[in-house]
Amino acid sequence: MKYDVVVVGAGPAGCVTARFAAESGAKVLIIERRQEVGVPVLCGEGISRKIDSWDMLEGDRWIAGRMDGARIYSPDGTMVKLSADMAGNETGYVVYRDIFDQELARRAVKAGAELMLNTMATGLLKEKNKIKGVKAKRFDEEFDIYANIVVGADGVESKVGQWAGIDTCLKSKDLETCAQYTLTNVDCKDAYCDFYLGKDIAPGGYIWVFPKGKDVANVGIGILASLSKPGLAKKLLDKFIANDPRLKKGEPIRFLAGAVPVANPVETVRDNFILVGDSARQVDPITGGGLTCCLEGGKIAGEVIGEAVKQKDFSKERLSEYETKWKEAFGKKLKRNYMVKEIMLDMDDKTFNMLADSLKNYKFEELSTLSLVTALVKKHPTLLIKLKPLLKVSKETKRYK
Amino acid sequence: MVKPKAKIDEKQCLACCGCISVCPKDAIYWFGGKASVNPNRCISCTICVKICPVGAISGGGY
Repeated sequence: MKYDVVVVGAGPAGCVTARFAAESGAKVLIIERRQEVGVPVLCGEGISRKIDSWDMLEGDRWIAGRMDGARIYSPDGTMVKLSADMAGNETGYVVYRDIFDQELARRAVKAGAELMLNTMATGLLKEKNKIKGVKAKRFDEEFDIYANIVVGADGVESKVGQWAGIDTCLKSKDLETCAQYTLTNVDCKDAYCDFYLGKDIAPGGYIWVFPKGKDVANVGIGILASLSKPGLAKKLLDKFIANDPRLKKGEPIRFLAGAVPVANPVETVRDNFILVGDSARQVDPITGGGLTCCLEGGKIAGEVIGEAVKQKDFSKERLSEYETKWKEAFGKKLKRNYMVKEIMLDMDDKTFNMLADSLKNYKFEELSTLSLVTALVKKHPTLLIKLKPLLKVSKETKRYK
Repeated sequence: MVKPKAKIDEKQCLACCGCISVCPKDAIYWFGGKASVNPNRCISCTICVKICPVGAISGGGY
């Protein structure tokens, strides 16, 4: 088998990369180890309204709910409300991720990409240390897929990246370990995405409650792996649900676990090789949200690959246009938010309560790190010492825009 | 005393792949829709045991 591009993994990043590469005329194959695209749904299923202008999805079958905003609860229950204008960047829609992923796959196939399910990559094909494609296995059949460019879109545990010589092993302080239910018979009338913070609620992470219609909600937990104990994520989530009046009568129609990288991004290009999505650590380290990065990064990757195929230049130098562009588009924000994550991990519940108390009546003109830090420092000048590095990065980021 | 190697209870494993992504020795792999341990590579560091969100992994004193 010979293709221009083989994409390992049919998640959002892989499908969008495949679509834009195929639209540029490349011959693309996507391989997926599971038997169905988009299943199981390993996600909180929230996404920004930014995607409205991106032409990624058609129709509205993938939308479970349109959110009015987000509410963040500090450990003592103080609520900070963010209206949709402010929070829309992070929480605009709650989606059906299975349909969402299948729509992205459909667009890729429509653009000319081929999709092969039940097919697992078992290694890279190399000749004289040059990547020539992937070794694959489908049921008991093993075969070689030759391609000029291999795209690693194989998620948080990326093996393809490791095979290509990129260190993708995560430290446990850079991983959120997650468990989630889709609960039915719950009472979530408000169209708000709710987040609950606190070391007894979710150490180093948060619990989310995202409504999917009136009586269904995606309720999940992410805790920092380095603060985890065996089975802790599920235990804390069950405890939270049992004590929440909206949720305690709910019954799960889905239970899943997942893992989310909250790390600094890794290198993403090699000769004949590109890494996208979770495997490239393109996830916001504060929220653990990665969908917008996947879509934005996938589009950039697909377009760069398309050009590379036209020019028949698959070198690291040619492909590094992708790295430059995604870093410009959202990489700087990820880097900054990684610092915020590190600072937040040092804060105790008392500090979170104090912050929430300062912010609860604050009218945000814009939800940027800079405006947030400014608001906080006005009230608590002593915080300045802690937040200083952040302020510096934030200003730099602003200058780049 | 030799610490017991990581062992995954297949019935409980939800294949979230968290253990695969943190294993420093690349000793856990995807097999038939579940995570599986290669005992020859496992060094009983227990990182995977601690991070498993559903407590499906035992070993190394846990």
